[in-house]
Amino acid sequence: MLSDIAFSSIRIATPLVFAALGGLYTFQAGILNIALDGFMIVAAFAAVGAAFATGSLTMGVLAGVLASMALAAVLALFNLRFRAHIFIAGIAVTFLAYGLTALLLKAIFDQDGVFASAAIPVFPALRIPGLADLPVLGPLLSGHTLLVYVAYLAVPVVAWTLYRTRWGLRVRMIGEAEDAALAAGVNVDAIKLQTMVISGFFCGLGGAYLSLGYVSLFAKQMTDERGLIALAAIFFAKGRPVATTLVALMFGVATALAVRLPQITGTAPQLLQIIPYAATILALVIVGIRANRSSTQNGWRFDT
Amino acid sequence: MTDRAAPRPHPVLPRLLRAVGPPLFALVVSFGLGGLLMAVLGKNPFTVYAVLLVGSLSGWPNLAVTLQLTTPLIFTGLAVAIAFRSGIWNIGVEGQMLMGALAAGIVGYAAPLPDWAMVPACLLAALAGGAAWAAIPALLRAYIGVNELVLCLMLNPIALLLTGYVSARVLKAPGPTNKLPDVVDAARLANFSLYSQLNTGIFIALACCALMALFNNGTVRGFEWKLIGLNARFANYGGIRVRRNVIGVMLVSGAIGGLAGAEQVLGVYGAFYDNFSPGYGFDGIAVAMLANSSPIGVLFSAFLFGALNSGSSVLQMELGISKYLVQVLQFIVVLILAARFTFSWRGWRRPLVASAPAVTLPMTLPAEQGTTEA
Amino acid sequence: MTDALVSLRGIVKHFGELVAIHDATLDIKPGEVHALVGENGAGKSTLMNILYGLLPPTSGAVVLRGKPVSFGGPAEAIAAGIGMVHQHFKLAPSFTVAENIILGAEPALSGGRLDLRTAERDTGDLSQRFGLDLDPRAIVSTLPVGLRQRVEILKALYRQAEILILDEPTAVLTPQETAELFITMRSLAKSGRSVVFITHKLREVLAVSDRISVMRQGRIVSTLDNSEVTADQIASLMVGRTVLLRVAKTEAKPRGGPTLEISNLSVSGDRGTPAVEDLSLTVRPGEIVGLAGVQGNGQDELVESIAGIRRSTAGRIAICGTVPTVGDPVASRRAGLAYVPADRAHVGLSLQSSIWENMAVGHLSAFRKGPFLAAAAARRRCRELIKRFDIRGAGEMTPAGALSGGNQQKVQLARELTRDARLIIAEQPSQGVDIGAIESIHRLLVAMRDEGRAVFVISADLDELMSLCDRLLVIYRGRIVGDIAAADADVEEIGRLMGGSNTDDQAPTRQEAHA
Repeated sequence: MLSDIAFSSIRIATPLVFAALGGLYTFQAGILNIALDGFMIVAAFAAVGAAFATGSLTMGVLAGVLASMALAAVLALFNLRFRAHIFIAGIAVTFLAYGLTALLLKAIFDQDGVFASAAIPVFPALRIPGLADLPVLGPLLSGHTLLVYVAYLAVPVVAWTLYRTRWGLRVRMIGEAEDAALAAGVNVDAIKLQTMVISGFFCGLGGAYLSLGYVSLFAKQMTDERGLIALAAIFFAKGRPVATTLVALMFGVATALAVRLPQITGTAPQLLQIIPYAATILALVIVGIRANRSSTQNGWRFDT
Repeated sequence: MTDRAAPRPHPVLPRLLRAVGPPLFALVVSFGLGGLLMAVLGKNPFTVYAVLLVGSLSGWPNLAVTLQLTTPLIFTGLAVAIAFRSGIWNIGVEGQMLMGALAAGIVGYAAPLPDWAMVPACLLAALAGGAAWAAIPALLRAYIGVNELVLCLMLNPIALLLTGYVSARVLKAPGPTNKLPDVVDAARLANFSLYSQLNTGIFIALACCALMALFNNGTVRGFEWKLIGLNARFANYGGIRVRRNVIGVMLVSGAIGGLAGAEQVLGVYGAFYDNFSPGYGFDGIAVAMLANSSPIGVLFSAFLFGALNSGSSVLQMELGISKYLVQVLQFIVVLILAARFTFSWRGWRRPLVASAPAVTLPMTLPAEQGTTEA
Repeated sequence: MTDALVSLRGIVKHFGELVAIHDATLDIKPGEVHALVGENGAGKSTLMNILYGLLPPTSGAVVLRGKPVSFGGPAEAIAAGIGMVHQHFKLAPSFTVAENIILGAEPALSGGRLDLRTAERDTGDLSQRFGLDLDPRAIVSTLPVGLRQRVEILKALYRQAEILILDEPTAVLTPQETAELFITMRSLAKSGRSVVFITHKLREVLAVSDRISVMRQGRIVSTLDNSEVTADQIASLMVGRTVLLRVAKTEAKPRGGPTLEISNLSVSGDRGTPAVEDLSLTVRPGEIVGLAGVQGNGQDELVESIAGIRRSTAGRIAICGTVPTVGDPVASRRAGLAYVPADRAHVGLSLQSSIWENMAVGHLSAFRKGPFLAAAAARRRCRELIKRFDIRGAGEMTPAGALSGGNQQKVQLARELTRDARLIIAEQPSQGVDIGAIESIHRLLVAMRDEGRAVFVISADLDELMSLCDRLLVIYRGRIVGDIAAADADVEEIGRLMGGSNTDDQAPTRQEAHA
């Protein structure tokens, strides 16, 4: 039972991890990108569409990633070039993505809610030799689909790009002092665009995993606020890659329990599903109180 | 700098054009892109838009549906607009609406009150419910300085899950559906159309808009709220109590959002249903932006989106096009309007400063609190 | 002409209708310190921003080593060997000195890997070569201002800058730090580099520069060798006539108890460090008291806490005998304060709002009928004030942002001076204001004094303070270190006080103790 829950937590957390990895690039660059959910839904749709049309998983994932990156580029265009407020533009892009995928679902596949077909290929579970034979950990870590491993193995890569490369230093410095980067001749908008498109890349993988790896169908709004939970994880862990992944995994556990626990104990699933959001608010409040203690401004803080 | 500025006359026509021009531009671009999309999908865009128009406005039955769908948008659009005008990004109206709806739904079936008191009591409960939910981000923002945008973003799903929990577990009506028991008849807002769920709630909505218009333009408090949106530091310096007023703005905004929920429960459904909203709170952002945060403008833009929503079901039946076309159009409008405001203000305000501020300015109201100081 | 490292030829810059730079021509030679002087708003920074690629010129050419160039942005200017140290440092505080210096030109290994070891070694070497002692691994937020400026200079040198633009570098420095900076500037010039030194402090100009270009109203009116000019000559070139700011006024007749009385006040700055410590001062009715000091010695925090915009941590502020609630702007105003802030764009005005709305703030109780706003009355009064305060080029519906700096300042004054307030605080009253307007602003403040109000002026411009005020206080590191009657004031003496050389912890006191 427990290992069962652990196994599905890893699985359930995978799209969260993808979205969180994507979101933390923009977070580190000082952009509050709230359109992760929108990126994922277009990816999920494009992945199913391409996989259905070509019968190829590779094509499906590729299409998903490209669609998501394209949408990310649109958001970056509006935010960086046209100076639209990132939150409002982010909400617009997200709901645009929900609407567009539902519109195309009807127009292309003539479905109102769900499109499923035997012609959509499925990711096989991978049995990792050696790993599978370990006691306890074996059944936990082996037997996932390819994208699950990609997600977790991407974490150190993400950390490396942010903390060990020239590009990563620029990203982090832009996040803290954009004017310093500008004055040093760094092309700030280009780097912000890059982080946004990378956001799109990871969310694309997350969306493709949702529709091709986790299940094998596309449903309207199937992302189910995963982008938001990923964002919560990023805020909770202040955008540090490993910590963010762990928090995303924890939130995955909460969601897994939300599905499993009611069957056993009768706890309402809603109360478990609240955990990621409530925990994030709590974290923000604690950070706020700490910051407030040192503040001498009267009453209203103008700069948050 | 020299004294170069000539007196600027302010004739009515250019001012009107400046107010109406950008929304019209956004609508034209949005409908143009939507038409293009339709053409790509093999539909004649002109047919599509004609069906939308006829399906929403021709004849009382269609118009009644349009007005029914306009009502919640007036409430949520007004709620968002009130906050935007003061430079506060209340994107939590969806959650505030759910809480207002829940409060109205509970009072509507459980309160042992005389008949005449039922509707007022339910409305008051909705006002309180919405305001209470808005108080969370308001107080945390005002006293601890937590970003209200992130808070609202997180509080929306919490509201949905909490109301879902209440309607599925705590106060669930017997039967398969997750809902509260039906409200008593005396608590219903009278329905005055056979063809739709249009109800007297629309008059409450109209009254709210009229009151807010009066408040904004005629009262000292309305003046202060606008000033906070334009430049909160200046307002604070000038002796306007920013913290207290911002909390007030959020509470009023949340209360109006709560009324949106009450109208749905008391007028449309007759009970609180889990997950009843198709996202009216978010549509309110589109409504408020198109209206440039003016209460009277909200009426027009809510009617426009209400009509589109109403026509879209006809569209789905007659042409087999998803009603989500409207959502696409709506948020293209938001995207374009979000872009417009910042660059028009920016070029003018910072002529001598070459480097851009780190955080983009809010756009409906170019408030100062969006910028970070170096 | 031919020996110039860089030449600006016939530069014109328009911002909309405003002509900011008017046919400016300037040659910078290798190995010279070239001062660019002029009043606020004369166009110094705009001209240098054009050279640095931050702004494109409307017309005219930038000629670098004999070839015309056109920079699309700072990156291209940096690549061409131009560096700029901004008045407000552009540093990421939580990163190290080395990381800040290499930003944008980071040494890298294969695969884009950051080579931090090389970076630290190189920045260490660089700082020693120019005698700018700095630990490459130090976190910038822990460094004092003078050292942060060194980081900025090293940033430019690390990029092989041959032309270094310093924008008002001494505004934030103590005299000692300034002296060290001048040594650095001379040694940079000796190494063949060119230093462009933007300032409006004449003594500094004469102390360090080889040649001096004077700007006035967007034009370069003259370029001179240091040896051929005096401070007076530069000053008259800057303002276009022999001045100086001599304010016509009678002797002050302070009477009665203090209008502003501050005792043992302590205030923290934005970072939580003490900015004002155990400070006491008084301003009496009928006198103008000036606060002199190097920027960043607690002036802003002091004024903000009097205005109730910032909380004090200890001590007491009394305005007209009442002690307003700490950190409450409304209470301070009610107690009798009128405050003209330095930051017009962010604090003192709402630039998008019309003039009448800007003037109504702080007077709302007069325009209140029950809950309603008597807008017509507010507009009427605004029209009167526009006439009375000679605010030019505006009607009551004009947005404040459309006014020139001088007229914006008059809007602030019109609003604040018509309040029934016994205490007037004017912060940088002449900053960004044209000469004509400065005179009328000073006259207004003197008139307020003669009415028996208490006037407290904070200014970075010592000349302004010495001519306008009756009494001068000098602030250093959050404490008042001098209290001098303006008539007896001596520039050298005040300069020493501003630099902190007469404070308790200095040698003279200890010698006295021995004696």
